[in-house]
Amino acid sequence: MTILLLSLYVAAGVTYGMHFARRDAGAGRLASATLAAAALMHTFVIGMRTVEVGHLPFVGAPAAISAFVWLLAVAYLYTEVTTDERAMGVFIVPLLVILQTVSTLSDRVIEPPPVLDSPWFAVHVSSLLFAYAAFALACVIGITYVLLFRELKSKQLGFFAARLPSLQVLDTMNGRAVGVGWLFLTAGLAVGGVWLFQLQPETADPRVAAMTLLDPKISVVLLSWTVYSFELYARRVIGWSGRRAAWLSALGFSIVLLNLVPVGYFLTKSHNF
Amino acid sequence: MELLLLGVSHHTAPVDLRERVDFSRRGVTTALGELSVRPTLAEAVVLTTCNRAELYVTCEDPVATVRDLAVFMSRFHDVPKTELAPHLYTHTGPDVVRHLFRVASGLDSLVVGEPQIFGQVKDAYATASEERTTGALLNKLFTSAFGVGKRVRADTGLGEGAVSVSYAAITLARKIFGSLEQRDVLVVGAGEMAELTATHLRSQAVRSIAVTSRTRTRAEALAQKVDGHAVTWSELPAQLLTADIMVTATGAQTPVINRTQVDEAMRARRNRPLFIIDIGLPRDVDPAASDLEQVFLYNIDDLRTLVDENLARRRDQMSQAESMVSDEVESFQTWLRARGSIPTLVALRRHFEDLRQSELNRLEPKLNGLSPEARSRVDEITRLLVQKLLISPTERLKNAGDEQTAAQYSEVVTQLFGLAEPLAGETTSTDEHTSPPPKTKTPVTS
Repeated sequence: MTILLLSLYVAAGVTYGMHFARRDAGAGRLASATLAAAALMHTFVIGMRTVEVGHLPFVGAPAAISAFVWLLAVAYLYTEVTTDERAMGVFIVPLLVILQTVSTLSDRVIEPPPVLDSPWFAVHVSSLLFAYAAFALACVIGITYVLLFRELKSKQLGFFAARLPSLQVLDTMNGRAVGVGWLFLTAGLAVGGVWLFQLQPETADPRVAAMTLLDPKISVVLLSWTVYSFELYARRVIGWSGRRAAWLSALGFSIVLLNLVPVGYFLTKSHNF
Repeated sequence: MELLLLGVSHHTAPVDLRERVDFSRRGVTTALGELSVRPTLAEAVVLTTCNRAELYVTCEDPVATVRDLAVFMSRFHDVPKTELAPHLYTHTGPDVVRHLFRVASGLDSLVVGEPQIFGQVKDAYATASEERTTGALLNKLFTSAFGVGKRVRADTGLGEGAVSVSYAAITLARKIFGSLEQRDVLVVGAGEMAELTATHLRSQAVRSIAVTSRTRTRAEALAQKVDGHAVTWSELPAQLLTADIMVTATGAQTPVINRTQVDEAMRARRNRPLFIIDIGLPRDVDPAASDLEQVFLYNIDDLRTLVDENLARRRDQMSQAESMVSDEVESFQTWLRARGSIPTLVALRRHFEDLRQSELNRLEPKLNGLSPEARSRVDEITRLLVQKLLISPTERLKNAGDEQTAAQYSEVVTQLFGLAEPLAGETTSTDEHTSPPPKTKTPVTS
C-alpha cells in the first residue's frame, strides 16, 4: 500500500516535469490528476492507520513526515486550483517524493507512550505540520521568484518567464504563505509550551525532562521561528520584499527540513518517540 | 547608374555603435551636403533612426563608391574605419529595392511591423529632396517604397494593434507586475515614442499617467492625449517615488536620470519594484541603475529579447508581407528595365517616323494631286500603320522578363533596324550596310 502510494507520487513528479518542459495543457491536467490521486490515496492510508491504531498517526518522525507530505500535497493542490498555476508543481512534487521515500523506508508502527495521550498532542503536531507545509510552499514560490527575477534582471527572458506568473504574484503568494505558516508555527509552539508546562511536574519520562531550549529539536525550531518572524518584520517594516524575502523563506524552510529529518531522526533527545 | 546602399542597423551593430553613427547628431542636411560633393555618387538619401543609419545612393561604380561611402561614414562620425567596418552592410541593384521596401513596411524593424519607421523613411526622403540630392531613380524608389509600406500595412496584420517597442515593454511590465490596473506610470519626454508607449499603457488601464518634459506645453499636450496629467520637470524626483513604470524617451544627448537619483528613490520607496523603459537614444537613464535591487531597466536593445515572441505571433502576416514585397520588387525591376529600354524605344519610333516621312516625301509629287482632305487621310493612315506595327515590340521591350532579356531585346532591335547609325536620308538601302555592333549595351538604368 505504502509502496503504491510512493509510486503514485513518483508518477506525479514525472508528469509535472513533462508538463513544465513542454508547456502542454494535457500533460498539466494529467499531472494534477495523478497528484490528486496520490493525495486521495494518502488520505485513505492515514485514515486506515488512524482506525488501526486508534489515534492520529503522528507519533514518531516517519509518521509525522508522511503526514507532512500529505498536508503539503493537499495545500499545493489547493493553491493550484485557486491560482490556476501549475508551474510550481515541478518544484514541490520532487520534495514530496523525497520525504515520502524517507518516511516509507523508516516506517514502523509505534505504540504511543502515555505522555502523548492528550488532546494537546493532535493540536500541537497538526498545527506545526500545517505550518511546515505552508513554509514549503513559500520556499518553492521563493525559488521560482528568484529564477524569474534573474531572467528579468539579466534581460534574457526564456524558460521561466514563459512559464511562471508575474514577480508581483509570486511575491504576494510568498508573503501570504509565510504569514499563514508563521501563525500556525507560533500556535503550535505555544500549545507545545503550555502542554510541557503542565506535563513536566508530573511525568517521569526522560524525554519530557529533555525538553529544554538546548534540545536540538526545540532550538532549531525556534531558529526557524526567528527567521520567519524576521522575514515578516522585514517585509512590513524594512521593505524587504522580493528577492530577499524569497531567500529568507528558502533559508527558513531548509531549517525546517533539517529539523524534520536529521534532527528528528538522530539528534533530538526530547522528541524521539 | 546602379542603386547602392551602405549602412548599419540593429541587425549588425550594438546600441553603443548606433548611437555614434546616428546622423541626426550632426544633422542629416550636413551629411547630404557632404555627400552631394563627392564625385563617386549621383543621388543620395540618408535614413537615420534609433535602429539604423543608412545611405541610399546611385552611382556608376558600386565597388569604388562602397569604399568611398565607408570612408565618409567613418570620418563623418569620427568612428575608426576598422571599428565600423565589421558592422557595415552593403546592397546593390534589386537588393537595395528589396531592402528599402522591407524597411518601409516594417519588416526589417527591431520589432516587426512597428509603424514609426514608415514616417522616418518619409522624412529621410523629404529632407533629401529638399536638399536636391535625389534624382529620377531615388525618387521612383522612395515613392514606390511608400506605396509598398502603405499596402503592407493595409493588407496584412503586420502593423496592427501593438506597437513594437511599446508592446515588448508591456509584456515585460506584465511579467513584473501582473495586472497593470493599479500601476502608476511616469512618462519622461513628450516625443512620438513616448506617446506611443503611453498610449499602450493607457490601453492596459493603468491607474495614472504623469507626463513630464522640459517643454511644459508638450507635456500638457501629451498628457491630454493619453488621459494623464502633466507635471513640471522639477517634480521628476518626487514622481520617481510613486511611479511603478517609468518611460523615458527624451531627445537629450546625455542621461537625464543618473544612478544616484534612482538609488535615492528606491530607498525612499522601500524597494517597491520600478520598471524603467528607456527608449531614448542616446539612453536617458544611466545603465548603472540596472544594478539596483528591484530596478528593472530595459533599453531599446534589451527589448530585442522579446522580439522573437512577437515574431512568432506575426509570422503568418510576415510571410504574406514578404511576398507582397517580392511582388513589388519585381514590378520595380520591370519599371527599371522599361526605363532602360526607353532610349531604344525612342530610337525605334524615330526610325519608323523618319521612314514614313521619307516615303511621304518621295511620293510627294503623286500625292499633290489629292484633295487636302484625302491628303490628310493618307497621312493619318500611314501614321496609324506605324503605330500599330510598333505596339507589340514596344510592349515586349518594356516588359522583358528579366534584365538580361531586356538587354538582349534592345540589342536585337538596335541591330535589326540599324538604330545605332543615323538614318541615311533619302536612301532606303541602309540594311545592306554592315554596321559594327554597338560598343555598349543599351544601359539598363539610365
